[in-house]
Amino acid sequence: MTDFIKRLLGTPQGAIGMVLVLLVLLVVLFGPMLAPHDPEALSPLTRYKGPSLAYWLGTDQYGRDIFSRLLIGARATVVMAVLATIAGTLIGALIGTASAFLGGRADELIMRTIDAVMSIPSLLFALLVVNLLGSSTINALIAVAIAFAPGMARITRSVALSVRKQDYVNAAIARGESSGYIIFREMLPNVIAPIIVEMTIRVSFAVMLFATLSFLGLGAQPPAAEWGLMVSEARRYMHLSAGILIWPSTAIAIVAVGFNLLGDGLRDALNPRT
Amino acid sequence: MTTTPDTPVLAIENYSLDYHTPSGVFHALKNIDLAIHRGEILGLVGESGSGKTSLAWSIMRFLPKNAREPGGRILLSDENLLQKTDAEIEAFRGRRISMVFQDPSTSLNPTLSLGTQLAEVLVRHRGLTRQQAWKEGEAMLAHVGLKTPAAMMNRMPHEASGGEKQRVVIASAFACNPECIIFDEPTTALDVITARQILDLFVELQAETGVASLYISHDLALVSRTASRVAVIRRGDIVEQGAVRSIFANPQQDYTRELIAAVPDPSHRLVGDALAPTDQPLVRVENVSVHYGRKPFLAALTGRKTERVAGNNAVSLSVHPGEILGIVGESGSGKSTLAKAMTGLNRFEGQIWFDGREIRSLGDMDNAYRKDVQIIFQHPDASLNPRQKIGEILSRPLKLFGNASDLDQKVGDMLEQVRLPRTHAQRYPHQLSGGEKQRVAIARAFASKPKLVICDEITSALDVSVQASIVQLLLELQKASGTAYLFITHDLNLIRQIAHRIAVMYRGNLVEIAPAADIDSPDRAEYTRRLIEAVPRAAGQYL
Amino acid sequence: MSPNYIAKRLMMIVYTLFIVSLIVFAITQILPADAAVMMLGENATQDALAALRENMGLNAPVWQQYATWLGHVLRGDLGTSLRTGQPVGPVMFEALGRSLLLAFLSIGLMLVLAIPLGIIAAVRRGKIADMVVSLISYAGVALPEFVTATLAVLVFADLMKWLPPTGYVPLTENFGSGIAHLVLPVCVISVILIAHVSRMVRSELVDVLHTDYIRAARLKGISRGKVLRRHALRNALLPTITIVALDVGYLLGGVIVVEEIFAIPGIGRQLIVAIQARDLPAIQAGVLIMAATYSIVNFIADILYAWLDKRIQYD
Repeated sequence: MTDFIKRLLGTPQGAIGMVLVLLVLLVVLFGPMLAPHDPEALSPLTRYKGPSLAYWLGTDQYGRDIFSRLLIGARATVVMAVLATIAGTLIGALIGTASAFLGGRADELIMRTIDAVMSIPSLLFALLVVNLLGSSTINALIAVAIAFAPGMARITRSVALSVRKQDYVNAAIARGESSGYIIFREMLPNVIAPIIVEMTIRVSFAVMLFATLSFLGLGAQPPAAEWGLMVSEARRYMHLSAGILIWPSTAIAIVAVGFNLLGDGLRDALNPRT
Repeated sequence: MTTTPDTPVLAIENYSLDYHTPSGVFHALKNIDLAIHRGEILGLVGESGSGKTSLAWSIMRFLPKNAREPGGRILLSDENLLQKTDAEIEAFRGRRISMVFQDPSTSLNPTLSLGTQLAEVLVRHRGLTRQQAWKEGEAMLAHVGLKTPAAMMNRMPHEASGGEKQRVVIASAFACNPECIIFDEPTTALDVITARQILDLFVELQAETGVASLYISHDLALVSRTASRVAVIRRGDIVEQGAVRSIFANPQQDYTRELIAAVPDPSHRLVGDALAPTDQPLVRVENVSVHYGRKPFLAALTGRKTERVAGNNAVSLSVHPGEILGIVGESGSGKSTLAKAMTGLNRFEGQIWFDGREIRSLGDMDNAYRKDVQIIFQHPDASLNPRQKIGEILSRPLKLFGNASDLDQKVGDMLEQVRLPRTHAQRYPHQLSGGEKQRVAIARAFASKPKLVICDEITSALDVSVQASIVQLLLELQKASGTAYLFITHDLNLIRQIAHRIAVMYRGNLVEIAPAADIDSPDRAEYTRRLIEAVPRAAGQYL
Repeated sequence: MSPNYIAKRLMMIVYTLFIVSLIVFAITQILPADAAVMMLGENATQDALAALRENMGLNAPVWQQYATWLGHVLRGDLGTSLRTGQPVGPVMFEALGRSLLLAFLSIGLMLVLAIPLGIIAAVRRGKIADMVVSLISYAGVALPEFVTATLAVLVFADLMKWLPPTGYVPLTENFGSGIAHLVLPVCVISVILIAHVSRMVRSELVDVLHTDYIRAARLKGISRGKVLRRHALRNALLPTITIVALDVGYLLGGVIVVEEIFAIPGIGRQLIVAIQARDLPAIQAGVLIMAATYSIVNFIADILYAWLDKRIQYD
């Protein structure tokens, strides 16, 4: 395990990504406890203030502390995004592996259908699902998970197929190993690694998709401190205090970049041959 | 500069090359001294990692950024290449010194026509216009033996065969009449018969132009046939160099001796000829055919009949208990396809009889069959699961076919049987060398004490010295256990050493089966005779 | 490339649209809200509602409703909007036209910037130029469109007052003003595209520059520049076609957000309005049109790619 961590921190992407993601994780876990102010506390007299000792990043249109809201909002944005990505990956991986295993016409049919589904932009798909279920954070999570599933199915299938072609799988078949053994002991350990890499990178897309949904009013609802929602609300007041817009945007960017870099780093670290 | 006829065209004097890597300095070449005169062919023989390719890059001055040259000179007609500017070197390349590469499918740009890639050398160095260069190019293609030069100029690389492409590459190398040409394993990626043709072409052109040639290869037998002098390189050091005859007759260094001994010599049999006759063959393959591919979409709709690609076409052969049956053929001959059919990796039509039982399909291949029929693959990196430790890999067949008691002890015993240390059980495949991995694959195959082991080109991806030790191991195991082998290879010399009988395949068909001793008799089929003719045999034979 | 291949690809488009229509139909069928209630309002009488439902065919079993709808579509009738009562088709197609303008301009800008950036980064790999381009790439990919759009409006419209903040002016009416209103939206969409494509171009070109055939060309004495122009670029840029075609899918999504923020009456805007109003026919038509656009673009890209890359045998 320590060997793996060392490899991960060896590349610049891995190191920076790891640092950023750990930072985000800390904020997610301890954010509410670290917040200096109550994120929902309205303070009309101290609206639109810039950064100060009392309010580290300034205040928003209702006098709420931006920094505290960011810390709270991390949970809404990041946790949901991670959960949605994991859910989407599990569903997609199941479909993709089954399709690769079945092969032949079944595989072709499943893949063509996946292609068809993917012709609907993910945002649009998520919008439709959220609209159907009603606007809330949980529903947005389901929407994003369903939107991601086809893409992950495609990737899982392609990885599974390339692993299937390797001689060590052929050797197992020639030994007469059971299908179960081949799938779980020979193929899966080699399939998981690229999937984890892809999943990590997808988290950054999920964060952005989630934020976009909230921005359009179809995800988290006010007065939640979700970052996308904060940007949406900031639009009317940003000329009064740019910070209302800039800080949530930066937070989104940091999370997206962090997971992106971590994914790149994982790609190198998980490669067994280097 | 004035050069007398004695001045070597290419002289490398005390030259060293280092690579600066994150894990330290790697000394790729150490104090190399070589010289090639006009009209001479110098063979440079080494195994992988010996530095022979690095030397080629050094001469062509095409080194990566982390390369450093601590000392020495490289002289082309007495001019020190190390002191030339980039522009001057660019002018040299292709005109005064050129190179022929190993694999014509990767050394030609797939999106430009062959003619364009040949003509551009002429335009660049001889100042011809495009039309003149094109005409000149056509003439050269005719000169290198291409039948329809005008058409060939317009072809794209994927529309030409390996041999045709290599001729184009050779034509480009000779185009500007260089003083020196480096040939980097030019026949390794080609089929045996095509390789022979290219070799002959090279010898012819070289004699005609008198160009000083550096012929790099891992194949001693081949080099001994073409070069007048040979240098043996190992881990960056020139171990020995001299005239071919004297090196082969009287090798001074141990490594050279090892290398010469490792070259398969068909006249030096490693197994006895006679095999005790049995009435029941161990395996009998009858009219086995393998087809690839599915019907194209529209054809399925309209019900039109389509030709399916045949991997194997009604092949019939048999293997007797304890026999080594060799299967030779070029790539695409169907030899691996047959092996895969016999182990259930391909669907086949026809029958296979094993030990008296009939096997008609995958379903008939039960545990008992699997126990008795094992297969070893060509690429050791791909045949061992990179995420499993060696111990786990070796314990699988024990669990499947034997009893699972005392696994650690048994795994250790298996490793010792293939002459690997017991501690390797704790390692992962990427920590082992190619030869070691192949030994593990062999141990894995022998774990169930099989009656038949199919070896699918298991030595093709290994260095020749490693190959020799693997073959030795296989023969030892065979003597100890009486296992029969189905040994698939394209190396005719090797198979003539170790097989009792040899089967020759061509394009999915079985041409013939003959006892190994008779394989070079004039009674053989035409294809077989062509194959035998084309294979270079070690110069040692002639002494 | 055989007719077999083209036929196969066209069938695929048909299948895609079929699946997409099924999905949309399925999703909207499970809507809790009742289309009739939406049209007549909460206070309508039960009789009126029942009559309308009968009229709109909402009492028929689901598959029958779908079949009816499909029949209409195949005849070119995309239905009537529940919200406006007008035929959906013409409105959607007109909106599509404006979105396509946005899309084309964005792709154009992207090609003009992304390809040279990618080439520079690849050729000067490891040096400062490469780092800068990588940085831009990462930054571009890290910001969702709504952030970039909002920031752009803040900086260029509100603060600097160089450009109008939102709104749309048809080019035929007033070319200058029309262009001015398009600058920000196009730039916002392009940012992520440029980030993504330049990264791909760099990666492809780096791979190509390391191939044996490029090395062989250099060793023939061909100059660096000529090798780049004549040998490397064409091989590296060919896959760009595929990547851009796939990105169109992302672009269609981005268009939705951008049109919302900049108040451009394109198909994205229409869809948002339709979704919020639960306007079933409009939603179906809009999604179908988007999916069709994506499929057609990919089809053209595939054909183009196959035509340009003579190595590949498509049958």
